[in-house]
Amino acid sequence: MITNDTPSSSAPTMTTLAASAPVSSGSSGGRRWDSLIVRVIIYALLLAGVAVVMIPFLWMISTSLKNASDLFVFPPEWIPNPIQWNNYPDAWNALPFDRFLLNTLFTTILAMFAEIVSAAIVAYGFARFRFPGRDVLFIILLSTMMLPGILTLIPKFIMWRELGRIDTFTPLTVGAWFAWGPSFIFLLRQFFMTIPREIEEAATIDGANVVQTFSQIMLPLVKPALLAIAVLSFQGNWNNFEGALIYLNTLEKYPMVLGLQFFGASLSREAPQWHLMMAMATMMAAPILLLFFFAQRYFIEGLTVGAVKG
Amino acid sequence: MFSWYGLTLVDYVVVAVGMAAAMFGVYWLLRRFGVGRETSTGYALILPWLIGLVVWTVGPFLASLYLSFTEYAPIQKGWPTWIGLDNYVEMFTEDRRFWRVLRFTLGYSVINVPLGLIGALLTATLLNQDVKAIGVWRTLYYLPAVLPAAATALLFRWMLASNGLLNDMLSPIYNLIDVDRPSWFTDPEMVLPAYIIMGLWGVFGANTVILLAGLKNIPRDLYDAAKIDGAGRWSMYWNVTIPMLSGTLFYVLIIGIIGSLQTFTQAFFIQHTARAGTFMNVYIYQEAFERNNMGYASALGWVMLVIILLFTLLVFRSSSAWVYYEGERAK
Repeated sequence: MITNDTPSSSAPTMTTLAASAPVSSGSSGGRRWDSLIVRVIIYALLLAGVAVVMIPFLWMISTSLKNASDLFVFPPEWIPNPIQWNNYPDAWNALPFDRFLLNTLFTTILAMFAEIVSAAIVAYGFARFRFPGRDVLFIILLSTMMLPGILTLIPKFIMWRELGRIDTFTPLTVGAWFAWGPSFIFLLRQFFMTIPREIEEAATIDGANVVQTFSQIMLPLVKPALLAIAVLSFQGNWNNFEGALIYLNTLEKYPMVLGLQFFGASLSREAPQWHLMMAMATMMAAPILLLFFFAQRYFIEGLTVGAVKG
Repeated sequence: MFSWYGLTLVDYVVVAVGMAAAMFGVYWLLRRFGVGRETSTGYALILPWLIGLVVWTVGPFLASLYLSFTEYAPIQKGWPTWIGLDNYVEMFTEDRRFWRVLRFTLGYSVINVPLGLIGALLTATLLNQDVKAIGVWRTLYYLPAVLPAAATALLFRWMLASNGLLNDMLSPIYNLIDVDRPSWFTDPEMVLPAYIIMGLWGVFGANTVILLAGLKNIPRDLYDAAKIDGAGRWSMYWNVTIPMLSGTLFYVLIIGIIGSLQTFTQAFFIQHTARAGTFMNVYIYQEAFERNNMGYASALGWVMLVIILLFTLLVFRSSSAWVYYEGERAK
């Protein structure tokens, strides 16, 4: 459950305020019917919205379990008959997806760890220490979010080539040590700023240095924010297509997302094997979806903190 | 065989150790030159980002500006040759594909961003009406935003195939008005609408969740005050909710513009017909990495940057008219 909305979901909203207005005391029966109709319309609209959102999802899963010959049946068949569980191993074994998964995990974990550690350190610096040029630098940091990534991609590609790191995982992971996610720094800084200074002052009086204060006192206090960043970072690196496309050439080094693209573009170009492609897409999405169900709160926190508190 | 993992691991550790050493080094140097403890610590802590800014942002930024005035085909020739404004002249006068790509990219954003924003605002408003099981609704609406762009793109390529689900579902309507089933991604006329449908499905949920959080953040006493002044439901929505939400709307708008102008991944999974044009970032990629025109691609990148800046400036400029900031934050 999401903790943020517990206070507000129990508080009266606009509708209930309007419905309980003393003005309506003369015709309270009519009012109640009005508000009931309004409720029904609200739920009907919301349900229609959910249908639009869910139909593609269900179709993906339904297709992934179909026989190749049942793909184009009209009218569309929602529950496959028979259910082809084999599509999943078939799709997985059509290309070396074991290797792709290993590559994805390798780059995702390395990049994620470096991204979080460096973002936390930098955010702490911006949140807690006064130094000349800090505010200007922070505005620069925020404005780098607007730079199109494609613009710096060509020089970066040339740099990695000069360093002999094309077709290696290095460009996808090592750059994360340089706190490459400005939005993560921003999010963590917001969290650090909410912590009372007295806590650090007490630690300093007890003789803790900056490294100790940061790692033993401040980091545990911003754990929710770190988890929010962790899920966003996992998602971003797991799905990182652009970087993999540009820096990796050898099939054995592909991450899942590039393997999926290769699968879609080459293996089923003439006769698209939609059932296998949907099985593959489902498997690629599965870890993210699972993470979302278990850590939903952190997804939403990471998503909304910039918008609402900024 | 596994040496490529080892190579990256070594790089990774070397850079991490080097970074830590540099941070301590900067602190020690600053202290030696008599800089205060707080200032030195601050600079040492932001050092990773600062180095990254110089090496991975400002450096490449200037390099790409230089490259945009050169002809650079790194596979054949080792060095860029200076050709002045030729790339830009070619782009605006000779390259007909450029205009098609520009029209396609702008068309996508201009339709997609406002529709996504208005739709999400309506949904968030509905969800804010004291709806039961709000967490479940929010999860369901947010799901599309969690699905990887690659999976979304493949899914829509399949659903919008000429014999796909969307056409199947719409076939009664097609029969009624007597038109053929469109083949969305292979018909040049239909590619843009198809991408807009897919884009709406993808961003809608994320925007809804952000706006809902914004709505929940509006202090209740404002509504109480408005009620005492005798405001009706619509009047409260226009005079309290929208102004109080305008900061969040502004954020969603900016993020939406920047994101949609840079659509990239989806096009690689959909492989729509080339005659329709494509997204600017895809075109830049093709010029740079498929046709080996890195100079021309850099020039295209700079035009893209200018377009993004123009759009964001426009929104920022207009924001003073419609974004409401609380007293202490007014500038």
